[in-house]
Amino acid sequence: MSFNVLIVDDSNSMRSVIKKVITISGFKMDQCYEAGNGKQALEILSKVWVDVILSDLNMPEMNGLELLAALKGDSLLQEIPVIIISTEGSDERRRTVLEMGAKQFIKKPFTPENVRKILYEVIGVGDEGTYEGNERDADGGDF
Amino acid sequence: MKEMKETLMVAIFDVFERMFYVFLEPVNDEYSDYAMAATIQFSGALKGEVNIFVSERLAKSMVQNLLGIETEDITEKDIEDCIKEAVNMICGNFLGRLDQTKVFDLSIPSFSRRPGKAAQGENVCMLCFDSDSDGFGTTLTLFN
Repeated sequence: MSFNVLIVDDSNSMRSVIKKVITISGFKMDQCYEAGNGKQALEILSKVWVDVILSDLNMPEMNGLELLAALKGDSLLQEIPVIIISTEGSDERRRTVLEMGAKQFIKKPFTPENVRKILYEVIGVGDEGTYEGNERDADGGDF
Repeated sequence: MKEMKETLMVAIFDVFERMFYVFLEPVNDEYSDYAMAATIQFSGALKGEVNIFVSERLAKSMVQNLLGIETEDITEKDIEDCIKEAVNMICGNFLGRLDQTKVFDLSIPSFSRRPGKAAQGENVCMLCFDSDSDGFGTTLTLFN
């Protein structure tokens, strides 16, 4: 089983790094979509389905918090688990982000092991891609 | 300011070693041939900005290590992105170490190929480093 991933970060380099980290971590990634901000992410999400979103917070045009709010307001998109990857890691910020619907928070700098563990955790499967919960079916569709 | 300077130094070491695989050595003398700079402002319990100054060779080394690409494949955009990300991570790492309980807002980092002279004054601390790939400098400025 492999998963479609959307990486949202205004830094081209950081998107490449996150993609590389996901690849070397051994996480089973199928399609990897990239967006430079929340607005571009929503455009992509209007066309394709992804299994997980990894988003930065600090971005121009539409930041990570605004993206979370937009996803929460959409009955379909709110089902997609979001992992925030940011340098801003205060307790309060982390709490806010989780309250707004993010599933997890990864603080930069990060390790591939940490990214993989959290990716599998939020999509509800084990490290080898086996189901641990009943959150989603294999096609990434309804429950 | 002394405590902040030490915290900033730890943050810089952490970011450089974990993200760029570059090991910096603190030095007293300021390197004079910086090719670029990046700035980020922060606000919240404290207000200020972090500037970083980077030599061409070190910037290329950072990009190479971060992205795993050859020097000849490095573009100007790669350098700009990488240096902006570096100042973003240094600032975030520094503020988190300073006070994990406080929320800070960070600006979008800016990049310049014409680095001005580093700020000086009572509210400014400067750190200079050397590495195998030339110099690196940082200033932390606190606003009133």
